[in-house]
Amino acid sequence: MTTADVSRSTIVVFVLFAIQYTLLDSVRVLGAHPDIMLLLPVSAGYVGGPERGAVFGFAGGLVADLFLPTTFGLSALVGCLLGYGVGLATEGLVRSSWWLPVVVAAAATATGLVAYAILGSLLGEPKQLTVFLTPALSVATPAAAILAIPVLRLVAWAVPPAPSRAHQVGSIR
Amino acid sequence: MARRRRPRRSRRSLTIVLLVLASITIITLDYRGGGHGAISAVKRAAHDTFSPVQRGVDAVVRPIGSFFAGAVHYGALQQQNAKLRAEIGDLERRVLEGSATRQELEQLEQLEHLPWIDGIQTVTGEVVGLNTSNFAATIQLNVGTSSGVDEGMPVVGGAGLVGQVIEAWKSGSTVRLVTDPRFAVSVRFGSPAGYALALGEGVSKALAVQYVAPGASLHRGEVLMTSGLQNASFPSDIPVATITSFSSTPSSTQEAVSAKPVADLPALQYVDVMLWYPGQ
Repeated sequence: MTTADVSRSTIVVFVLFAIQYTLLDSVRVLGAHPDIMLLLPVSAGYVGGPERGAVFGFAGGLVADLFLPTTFGLSALVGCLLGYGVGLATEGLVRSSWWLPVVVAAAATATGLVAYAILGSLLGEPKQLTVFLTPALSVATPAAAILAIPVLRLVAWAVPPAPSRAHQVGSIR
Repeated sequence: MARRRRPRRSRRSLTIVLLVLASITIITLDYRGGGHGAISAVKRAAHDTFSPVQRGVDAVVRPIGSFFAGAVHYGALQQQNAKLRAEIGDLERRVLEGSATRQELEQLEQLEHLPWIDGIQTVTGEVVGLNTSNFAATIQLNVGTSSGVDEGMPVVGGAGLVGQVIEAWKSGSTVRLVTDPRFAVSVRFGSPAGYALALGEGVSKALAVQYVAPGASLHRGEVLMTSGLQNASFPSDIPVATITSFSSTPSSTQEAVSAKPVADLPALQYVDVMLWYPGQ
């Protein structure tokens, strides 16, 4: 990645974080809110491949963890694994369908939330699985499907496509 | 081709391994409390840096959101307004009726030397954010260390206990609500006093009250107060919740008790932070 790519990436991380922290945290259904910070590693992995997805997931997760009351580092771990996993899973896909990123975003967000709750339970907070997970899934997963395309386009502006996908740039942007 | 793929795959694997190890290290430091001071300092600095941005956006967005919310909920707001007016009238009547009782109680207090929260200094804060995480029940206030607020301080509002401060920075603080599963408070009930532990069970859910002996004398609507036992996390005599249900079976070792928080948590707008430290 060039210096310009790093600058654009930094801008994207902070723009998405600002939207989450100032706007989306106020959107409340069943006590839960949309989580755009999970879409960051998903989009980065989808566009840039597993390595870039992991880096964006780690960076975005650390930024989010600074403002969350839960265990510090948990969002970074989930983010880097999620970005890596999405990058690997979508590496060989032909991206000719408009609904593919929407499905990927929804499924990956749900996976990320479940992983977060399981890891939180392992760290001594079992109620994350039994109390918080269902409302979070009910709200954040459909919200991820709705926000997938705009977030993907924003992240694609900052993340260069993975070498294996350079020929598919037109279908992403 | 195979030779060019191997270095890329190796670098990719190395990247994810390094990031996972870094994440696990950070989690371990926070979990064990080893990096607590450093991590807390970084989080406070982050909050202090971002607070002006949050306030600026909030100042723009809140009136817009309120306009649409008011337009959508106009009918419900009218009904709520009428209901509140009726409640205010009822409360004013009770204040007058309670004044005679209060005078008598003050005299008893002087005899019994009961600790009262009235003697504790408080700072009033406005709720400026809700649940930053989908996995915690918290609120954010616009008062922080510059107003004397610090971690561990109790927060009260409405009719009783709201929660406890868990993070504080210059211009704000985060409060863990009584409904958060990680929240626990020692309570007392009945006369002679029985003691139990009230635990949060999740947003909008009743509190679970544990360590109540089977057959204990309980009543629906009975108010649970903070016990204020030695080295307690909260001063004594703060209303916490009212008992909504209790039951036990012949083989159970404790009564299954549920209690509804007295504070109207969904409608909180202003709260008081008690400038009091646990164990004080």
